[in-house]
Order: sequence, then structure tokens, then C-alpha cells
Amino acid sequence: MTETQTLQGTGQRRELISFRIGEQEYCVDIMSVREIRGWTPATPLPRTPSYVKGVINLRGAVLPIIDLGARLGLETSAPTARHVIMVVKIGDRTLGLLVDAVSDIINLTEDMVQPTPDVACDQVKTFVKGLFALDGRMVSLIALDRVLPETEAEAA
Amino acid sequence: MDPFESIKATFFQECEELLTDLESGLLAMEGGDKDAETINAVFRAVHSIKGGAGAFGLEELIRFAHVFETALDQIRSGVIEPTDEVVKILLRANDVLADHVQAARSDGAVEQSRSQAMLDELQALIGGDGGAMDAEEDEEDFGFVPVQMVVEEVPEESADPGAAPAASDVGEGERAWRIEFQPNPEMYTKANEAGLVLRELARLGRIEVEIDGAEVPPLDQLMAEHAYLRWNIRLVTDKDVAAIREVFEFVEDDCILTIVEETPAAAPAAAFEDEPPAVVPPADEFDPAALLARLTGEVGGGEAAPEAAEAAPESAPEPAPAPTAEAAPQPAAPAAEPQEMGVAGLIALAQKATAEVEQAPAPAAPAAAPKAAASGGSSAPAPQATIRVDLDRVDRLINAVGELVIQQAMLSQRVIESGLARSSAVALGLEDLELLTREIQDSVMAIRAQPVKSVFQRMPRLVREAADATGKKVRLVMEGENTEVDKTVIERLSDPITHMLRNAIDHGLEGPAEREMEGKPPEGTVRLAALHRGGRIVIEVSDDGRGINRERVRKIAVSKGLIAEDAVLSDEETDNLIFLPGFSTAETISDLSGRGVGMDVVKRSVVALGGRISISSEPGKGSKFTMSLPLTLAVLDGMVVTSAEQTLVAPLSNIVESLTPKADEVHFLGGGQDAVIRIRDTFVPLIDVGRALGFRDTPLNAADSVAILVESEGGGKAALLVDAIQGQRQVVIKSLEANYQHVDGVAAATILGDGRVALILDVDALVSTSRRKAAAPREKRMAV
Repeated sequence: MTETQTLQGTGQRRELISFRIGEQEYCVDIMSVREIRGWTPATPLPRTPSYVKGVINLRGAVLPIIDLGARLGLETSAPTARHVIMVVKIGDRTLGLLVDAVSDIINLTEDMVQPTPDVACDQVKTFVKGLFALDGRMVSLIALDRVLPETEAEAA
Repeated sequence: MDPFESIKATFFQECEELLTDLESGLLAMEGGDKDAETINAVFRAVHSIKGGAGAFGLEELIRFAHVFETALDQIRSGVIEPTDEVVKILLRANDVLADHVQAARSDGAVEQSRSQAMLDELQALIGGDGGAMDAEEDEEDFGFVPVQMVVEEVPEESADPGAAPAASDVGEGERAWRIEFQPNPEMYTKANEAGLVLRELARLGRIEVEIDGAEVPPLDQLMAEHAYLRWNIRLVTDKDVAAIREVFEFVEDDCILTIVEETPAAAPAAAFEDEPPAVVPPADEFDPAALLARLTGEVGGGEAAPEAAEAAPESAPEPAPAPTAEAAPQPAAPAAEPQEMGVAGLIALAQKATAEVEQAPAPAAPAAAPKAAASGGSSAPAPQATIRVDLDRVDRLINAVGELVIQQAMLSQRVIESGLARSSAVALGLEDLELLTREIQDSVMAIRAQPVKSVFQRMPRLVREAADATGKKVRLVMEGENTEVDKTVIERLSDPITHMLRNAIDHGLEGPAEREMEGKPPEGTVRLAALHRGGRIVIEVSDDGRGINRERVRKIAVSKGLIAEDAVLSDEETDNLIFLPGFSTAETISDLSGRGVGMDVVKRSVVALGGRISISSEPGKGSKFTMSLPLTLAVLDGMVVTSAEQTLVAPLSNIVESLTPKADEVHFLGGGQDAVIRIRDTFVPLIDVGRALGFRDTPLNAADSVAILVESEGGGKAALLVDAIQGQRQVVIKSLEANYQHVDGVAAATILGDGRVALILDVDALVSTSRRKAAAPREKRMAV
């Protein structure tokens, strides 16, 4: 993680954590992130979608790991020790998101976030709440409540 | 929760305890215990419920409790003889009272006809409708109007006050002393206690204590820190004045004390007449706590005083038993938070009195103190100090300890892996840590452990109702009520026990006429017992009825297609047929046990808890159901296995045996995908766990693997094929649903010593999935 970047703008201020999956940059609200830890092999669960990597032991709790890249429909490779698990809290549940690397903490205001343009495919639109520009790069804001498998997202 | 509500909740919790006391007291009476103390305890329980209900304005409850109490009072005073019939009525009144409490608790209503019928029955018992009239009057008393302290004559008085101490009670070498003892507030602040002083004094000789509460102001003017009470004491002793002074040695400076020798001229009657003394029996039965509690009750309960007066003429001539403190107000128990209560004045007084009894500032033992006073008589066992804790907090603690255990196991494994010598300081320290961890775990689990009493205590009522419904005479014998088991298990014990008891009464026991023909006593006995055996809790329900009619069971099983017509079954196997789904021996469904559930449901719920149930029966002698359950649902005994490089846990309660299959025992049905294995002479489906869970596509070579014969809830058997068995282990159950969702074929997860998550197999799901696919007809007709 590098220095905190502050962008100018008006509206409600938010702090986000940005991370990388492949060449893409994404971010989530910092308040939902509980901790960040290195990849440890997960115990696979039977009959689950491919993006559910399995479960790991987080200090006694059973934590499901979602491969966020696979969830977004990106090309993914087998996780290595260099991959990172972001432990996030969604509602009452805690789960781990597998990403390539965590990059920055970003300060921004609501009005800087642009709606996702229509060009994006459905899968991306489901999970991306909005976009914003940062130093000429594009960062996508992830809608965390959608990353769990459908049935559960509805029930939760 | 708002304070009043929380006090109310406490009241209802206490009601439960009181109802338990009441019922056990009545049962003891039914069993022939006509001891005055038992009857008193029963009376007190009802009285306390009524008193508490008064504080919360629970009219219905008060009305019923009052009549009930009146009846009990008449038994207590000997007007009504507690015959079997009377006690039976009381037992049913007890059930109705419990309904009233329940209704008040849930803001529901009691079945009016039932309550009224019971009231009529009690009225008839009392003789006349005097009770009902009193109830009307009493209701007015329940408002918290500041009440002027009245020291009234109390029923336990040992002698007519007029005839009080005659000079003749002073024996050879003895002298009578009049002592006036008025403590200043300072005495109490120095942690001295009037009660103890009086008790000490009582050791010197025969003592009569009269409490003078004339200075106690109306409630609204009462100051909790002030001392209002004084005592007039008449002591007959052979000790001299110095010995008496010695008793007051520590309090002398903080009280007003006069000690005068009684001269025959100044004789007793005159002094005692205008204020009839609350006489306390001498020496060892003397109990100042009770005296104070009674005093508290008179002020607090409001209704107690007139009632005591009313009862007095009857009981006065009797020799006094140990003083009872029936009037101590139960709702005042949560005195720890007096400032939060709307009736602060009452509480303040109660607390004051409590403080005088206990001399422990109330918060130290909030619930215990007034209760101790309420239990009154010196014979009452000292209540164990307990605290009420939110279950949530305990669960959090248990979770944390579970994690500690896992961490500790991981650490141990890491140390071994790192190659440190077993004798190294680290390894030794770790060993100590392990012991300590286990101890903590056991202690924490013990917090949740509760005696099965809470479930058992509901059963006598159930048995009574079942006996009434069937017209049979039933005696319920309960054993091992104090056997402890985890709370999660207790909650789920109730249904199977209820069902087994109903079954025993409905199907097991014969009617009185039939029993007599068989040469048995007309009253059938049903025994409910709990015991610990091999780290599990065993619940037995047995009856001395007709036993299982195997011929009939067999016929039904054949007619329902559960077994083949020519199946050869042992007696035990036949008996266990009743657990098969779809089996119900009742030809006409009775109201009682025919509620659409059969023994198969009982079995399913028991197995769902990781337990087993079995039956043994002897024709004409009776049958016995035995269910064994784990002591807790937080841990599970499991068989750790590997399949497709995954470590999995199979619940031991499902496992029948493990075996190494030979190639010629495995057969393929139809297309060759669905395998069955021959175990002795039955074919059971062979489930490749790795494939069933989708961990691998290629089938496992059965000859290189291990098969585990499992039995599912429904009784269906199957063999699970795994790569290897690692061993047996107790594992902590972790929910998958908490953070994820249900996964088919997986019951839960656990964390192994290496810190990795292992999945616990859902054997039933695996077996039923295979059966849906295979649908082997043979399997459906399998013998148990």
C-alpha cells in the first residue's frame, strides 16, 4: 500500500481500498474490509460454482473464499502465495475475496463516481456499481452484496 | 428492556422455579409425605406466586392463586385432610396454575371453562365460596398504597399471649431478663447484624423475641439507610448479666440497650398484652431471618397481615413449627435495582429488611438474599449462589474456547513439525497448555450443562393428562433428574421423551381391569430415567405393560410392505420395526399418541441429534426404550477419512462398521454406474464419496479402498467408499451457513489440528441421493 491519495470534489466523502485483478483495478468501501491476509489453500466445497474457491479457517471461523476475478468473468489462474485474501463483511456474513494485490487507499466523494456505461457486458454491470478515474486509470467500484451466489444474495 | 419488564421477566423465571417446587411438593404429598414442612413449602410456593402476581396486577392469576392458596391453607391448618383425592385435585390445580402463569407471561388467555371448573372444584373442597369473596377484597390490597406498619399476631405463635411467661417457666437457678434492644443505623454500617445478635442471645437460654416495628414510617417516608426496628426480648437463662452483656459486646456502643431482671411483680402479661408478640420458639429453632422476613412480608405483601390474623385463631393453639416466612415478597427479589422500580418504597423496605437479615449490601446477592429469607425455616437447604447469564454470552465464550483449542492443537503440530525435541522447554510448556486448555473447555461446557430436570419436570403433568385421556392408572417414577447435559441437547429432549411417554401409556400399559386379570397392580408404572454412560446421556423410558406384540408388529410390517413375508427376524429386529417410517401399530388413531407422528419421527429426531434409540421388550412384562445422545451438540465424534485428497469427517453416530471390500463383493447394477456391495447377505449401495461430492470423476477402485457401512436417519444403509481412514476424533462443529450457505452432502465443517477446514459429511443426504438415483427395490424392503 502506498500513500493515501485524495481527489478533489464535493459531496459525501468516502474511503475506498483499491485492488488489482489481472490488469484491472477495482475498489470497495474500506469500512467493509476487516483484514487482508495472504492466500492459504482452501478446502474445496462440493457442487459449488467455480468462483467459490472453498473455505479456510479464519481464527476458528469457517470463511468462504470467492475468487473475485472468476466471479467477474475474468481469466484467472491458480492462486499462489502472492495472491491476497481481503476479508470483507457483507451483512451478517464474513467472506474472503481472492484478488491479485491490494494497491491503495483512495479518498473520494460520491459525485466523482460515474455510472457504469452501457457498453459493459451484463456480468460486469451486475457487480460494478460505478467507475471513476484515478491518475488516468479507470477504477471500478464493486457492489459487494452481489458477489455471493445468487440464491444466497436473494435470501440475505 | 425497560426495568419493569426485566423485573417482570425475573418474576416469571421465579414462577417457574416456584411451580417446580409446588409440583414436587405435591408429588411428595401424593407419595404419602404429609409432613408439615412439605405442606408449608407447597403453600409458600402458591402464596409467592400470588404475591408476585399482585405486584404486576395479573388479575386472573391472582384470582386463581388465591383460591388455590385458600385450599392449601386449610390443609395446612388441618381443616382439610390431604387424602389422595384431595392431592389429585391439587395436582390438577397446579397444572391450571401453570397455565395461568404461562398465559400471564405471554399475554394470552387461559381456557376459561377449565380454569372455572378447577376453581369450582377447589371451592367445593374449601366448602363455600368464602375464597372467592376474599379474592375480591384482596385485589384492593394489591395496590401499592403506603401501608402503615402493623405488627400483627402471626399464625405460628406458640402460645396464647395472655398466658405468656408465667413465673413458673423460670427454673432452678435461672433468672428471667427483659432486654430492650434498639440498634442505631451505625450498628448496621459496621456490618453488625441484629439477627446474629439475637441468635447468639438465644443460645443462652429460652428466649422470646418481640419485634417492635412501630417506628417504621409509611413507605414514602422510609429511608433505606435508617434503622427503625427494635426488639423486646425476654430471656430465661442461668447465665448472669455479664454473659448477656457479652453478647452485645460489639454493638453496645451503637444501640440503645437496657437489660433488666424481671421481677415477679413486673410480670409478663401486662407488658405483652397490648402488643401481642411475635413469639419465636426457643433455642435451635429460633430463626431471626424468618422473623424479619415475615415482617417484610407484612409490609410488602400488603395482604399478608389480615390474612395472618384470619388464620391465627385456628393455628394459635398448636405448638409452633419452625417459623415460616410465607409472606416474604418474591417480586422484591430483584432488589438490586431498587431505584429502577416503580415501587421503590417497597423495595427499599424489603432491601432494608434483607440487609438486616443478611447484612450483605443487597447487590452482593440480589436474588439469593430475599429467597433465603423466603424459604424461612431453618431446615430449608441453603440455596446455592447462582447467577443468571445471557445464553449469548456463554455461547461467545464457548466459541472463543473452541478457537483456543484449535489454535493450541495447531501450535502443537507446528512444534512437532519444527523438529523440537519432546523434552524441550517449548514442548513441555505446550503440554501444560494443552492440559489447561482442556480444562477450560470442560469448564466452559459445564456452564452450559444443565440437569435434565427442566425437561423431566414437565412430564408428571403430561403423564397425568395422558392417564386421564386413556382412563388408565399410571404412576410415573423419575430417576436421575440431576443428570447434566448440554443446553442445546436439553431443548431437544422434550419431544422424544414426550412421545415415548405417551406411547408407553397409550400402547404399553393395559387398562386397570386388564391389569388385574393379569395379576398386576391396577396402577401401571412408567419409569423415566436419565444417566450418563460412556460420555453420552442415556434416557430410558420403560413401562410394566403388555410389551410389544411381535406377531402383530410383524403382520403390520408385512402388510405395509416393510419386510418380506418370509423374512426371518430376531425378536429384537421385530421390535425395532416400529421405528420404520410408515409404521404405526395403533389401528385406530387415538387422540393421545396418534398426532400424525410415529416412532419413526422420534427416531429421526434422536438420530438428528447424533443419538440412537432402541427398544427391548418382554411380552407381558413391559418394554423399555433406550435412547443415547451426545452430551453436547457443539462437538461431534467423528471418523476422519480421506477421499480424493480431501480430509472429511463422517459422524460416528452414523457409522455401523468399516470394512475392506473385495473385488468380487462389488457388483454393478444396470449400466454399470451404480455399484452395490454385498455385506454378508445383504446388498447395499456403494457410494464413492469423492465422486458423489464432485471432487473427482474417475471411479475409485473398490479393492484399494475402504468402505464404511453407514446407517442414515431413515434407517437406510449404504457403504461409503473412501481412500483411507485416518482415525477417530472429537471435532468441534462449525456452521457453514453462518458465512456461506448450505452445501448438499455436507452437514457442517470443522477445523482439524493442522488448522485446515474439513467438511463433515451429511450421511443422510449422501444416502438419499444415491437412493434416488439407484432406487433399488431391495433396499426399500431391507430388514433393520
